[in-house]
Amino acid sequence: MMQRRTAMAAVLLGVAAAMLGGCYQSPTPAMHEPGVYKGKADPLRAKLESDQLQAKLDARFQRAAQDR
Amino acid sequence: MARMKFLCDAERCIECNACVTACKNENEVPWGVNRRRVITLNDGEPSEKSVSVACMHCTDAPCAAVCPVDCFYTTTDGIVLHDKDLCIGCGYCFYACPFGAPQFPEQAAFGGRGKMDKCTFCAGGPLPDNSDAEYEKYGSNRIAQGKLPACAEMCATKALLAGDGDLVSDIYLKRVMKRSGRPDTWGWQKAYGAGV
Repeated sequence: MMQRRTAMAAVLLGVAAAMLGGCYQSPTPAMHEPGVYKGKADPLRAKLESDQLQAKLDARFQRAAQDR
Repeated sequence: MARMKFLCDAERCIECNACVTACKNENEVPWGVNRRRVITLNDGEPSEKSVSVACMHCTDAPCAAVCPVDCFYTTTDGIVLHDKDLCIGCGYCFYACPFGAPQFPEQAAFGGRGKMDKCTFCAGGPLPDNSDAEYEKYGSNRIAQGKLPACAEMCATKALLAGDGDLVSDIYLKRVMKRSGRPDTWGWQKAYGAGV
């Protein structure tokens, strides 16, 4: 009987601690910087830095856009 | 660094809609969404002109300026892209865009529109290049493969040009000189009207 009461008290204490923990609010606010991209990084951005890809695109444009 | 741009030569566009079809086919754009459209002015009159319009990848993109979740980014080449995982479908970008480029795939209860979809210059989105996930969400990534947008490459009359802005303007200037006319696309009169 005593053991059961102790277990119940422990469970109640655990629930109370979890509830209190859930109410915790960080004192440091999350600052939102407007106009700054918040999404995932695009691997294409790094590729576009290379002159090789740019030269390839330019050559393709010269081929594709000229009149036949 | 190059700045990728579209330019549609209204003197050459024959309103065949091949660019629209090429875009839909290349990117498997959902039903009801058109990333590119052909607009005809003065339809049926002698002054009829058609232009193919999509996202113009603005240098100072108004869609990015109004986005409340900042899901837009611009590549070093000036291609304006967005992260669909962040988009909340608020529609602000649709109101801000002067070209009507942002499209929404759904019409659900309480104004639900779904994630915004627009022309990506065939450059995919912020996922591994040419992955299945990228294709499903954003469509084809031809730029990573060294190719240009499908709409421009498909254009039979070469009215739609897509590439480095300097090269595009060179070709357009040559065409205008050959036609021995003045370009109607830009200039003082176009911007401010006659008599100013």
